[in-house]
Amino acid sequence: MGTGNSNLADQRVSDRMGTQTEVEFVKSVGLPLLRSAQNPDGGWGFHPGSESRPEPTCWALQALLQCSWPEIPEAAVRGFQFVREAQLRNGAWPSARAEQVGCWVTAPACWVLLAEKNSSNAVAMGLDWLCKDWPQDSTLWRRFLARFSSQRHILPINNSYRGWGWTPGTSSWVEPTAFALLAFGECPAELLPPAAERRRKLAEAMLRDRMCPGGGWNCGNPLVYGVAGEPLIIPTAWALLALRNQPERRENVLSLEWLEKNVANIQGPGSLALSRLCLDAYGRGWPNNAPEFLRFHQRNEFLKNIQVAAWSCLALGAKRPFLSVGLPSGKTS
Amino acid sequence: MNARNAALVPSFQRPLSRVVIRRAANYEQELASLIYESLLEFKLPMKNKTVLLKPNLVGLDPLGIMNTHPAVIAAAREVFLRLGASQVLIGEGPAMDRDTEAIIESVRLREFAGPLARTFVDLNVDDVERVPLKTHASRLKELYLPKTALGVDFLVSMPKLKTHHWAGVTLSLKNMFGVVPGSCYGWPKNVLHWAGIDRAILDINAVARPDFAIVDGIVGMEGNGPIQGTPRACGVLVFGDDAVAVDATCCRVMGLNPGRVKYLARAGTLLGHIDAEKIQQQGESIGSVRQPFAVLDAFRQMVERGEGGFWNANCD
Repeated sequence: MGTGNSNLADQRVSDRMGTQTEVEFVKSVGLPLLRSAQNPDGGWGFHPGSESRPEPTCWALQALLQCSWPEIPEAAVRGFQFVREAQLRNGAWPSARAEQVGCWVTAPACWVLLAEKNSSNAVAMGLDWLCKDWPQDSTLWRRFLARFSSQRHILPINNSYRGWGWTPGTSSWVEPTAFALLAFGECPAELLPPAAERRRKLAEAMLRDRMCPGGGWNCGNPLVYGVAGEPLIIPTAWALLALRNQPERRENVLSLEWLEKNVANIQGPGSLALSRLCLDAYGRGWPNNAPEFLRFHQRNEFLKNIQVAAWSCLALGAKRPFLSVGLPSGKTS
Repeated sequence: MNARNAALVPSFQRPLSRVVIRRAANYEQELASLIYESLLEFKLPMKNKTVLLKPNLVGLDPLGIMNTHPAVIAAAREVFLRLGASQVLIGEGPAMDRDTEAIIESVRLREFAGPLARTFVDLNVDDVERVPLKTHASRLKELYLPKTALGVDFLVSMPKLKTHHWAGVTLSLKNMFGVVPGSCYGWPKNVLHWAGIDRAILDINAVARPDFAIVDGIVGMEGNGPIQGTPRACGVLVFGDDAVAVDATCCRVMGLNPGRVKYLARAGTLLGHIDAEKIQQQGESIGSVRQPFAVLDAFRQMVERGEGGFWNANCD
């Protein structure tokens, strides 16, 4: 059943897809769960029966699209409509329909709508909002004040590098920065606002600055009170995916090594799915000692989490690469 | 009426709060009986109530030093069911890592509390409801909060006894940061830091107010908590029907002055009691279980200069 099994039936179906057993799991459990959990409004909640929210809808859509490619299932058409209707007037997406403030969900929403030909305007507005959404911890005034702060040794980070916060008016963090970079990377050049290139460079520098000392990322605090922060799987996977066009850089190499070393100790299916997507994107093999998805599902049913189910489908059953922009040719390691 | 719907009452109009301290040497001992006997003191009307236990599960914890111990959580769940509760859920929204399942597996919660697919609620991804804030201590006007936490009959804050590198201490009140959903505010819930941690703690506890608190002080954490501190065996469980009074008592157990913990001092005006004379103390005396905790330099002002000139010997 596990990926380390040498049984012929359990070899991976393709470079991207899982073993026969895992692909069967996607077909018989993962995708039916996603299809049955879609709400009448076209969206998905974080759990079956819960209110539709933009973020799980984006991930459920990605999973349905990549696992059904080249077909676009009818469920996806209704999902696109939900995502489009959830957009705020200023171009951003909120985390819940009732909220009137945009947030990091804008990046995954732009990303998924790229697959829908009628959504170019919505995507362009979303990307424009992202380019205008600067974090507050690194404004000129705050950087000036920080020079004189007696507390600056507590969090020794370079605040001239700027990424994205989870919500407007807060600090830069690893995951929302990675989401924005991924959305920019997937987007055709003609849809990108002029400021995107500058934001991309600053954000990539910010991610590299926030790497934990031995490789890998946590939410964005590599060092607090002089103590090295522990990296975590999910932020590491997203940061590596966002920086995948520079595979030879020290930060990528160190962090990939950290990720590969730690796959065996993963205890949650969300982390397992994203590490699989990340190692696949870098052309790395899946470690033989990795835990088994199916055992994770038997354990707690993924806590009924739709987003985790979607990430698992993407990791095990996608018929085409999760990211359209891969590593530069000849750079697979 | 649960505490979340109750009006805020100024301290001078509130009845005495009740806190019970019990010794518990380790996590291997029979905790359910100890918790059951302690809860009987409070005569809690639990018949047919829905209960949410909100432990502090802050991160991956293979060594079992930073999170509320699963033995305490499982024992409390068993006791509330024994007291007649119709449903006892366990809910948490970890602040730094969105892989909640990895965290609950790392603390072996399933081994102690049984299958979790129907008893554990990831508060980070629960359905949410807009809640206007009552206290306006911070600049936040409203928060989206999990419907499960708002809807249960009885909410129990179950923190671990720890110092905290931004707030000074993290106990029953700070533990309620975990009800703020990551799916709305991210990982970490940085909007709360920008609003001011001390003030945000007050705002959250005024609307997601625990009805009861059980503090796991069997092994606490001192120094650079809540994650990177040093384990400190303290051998106590602290119970109470007023989270502010429980936290004030825990501070005294840790050799800290609750009046010098910013958010506790403020909480003492509207949310509960911090004055020792307003807290009906049962079980062990504070003096008999006091274990001075080390604190970071930034929080030296919290250290108790107690009766007879006692200084917390571990502040250096």
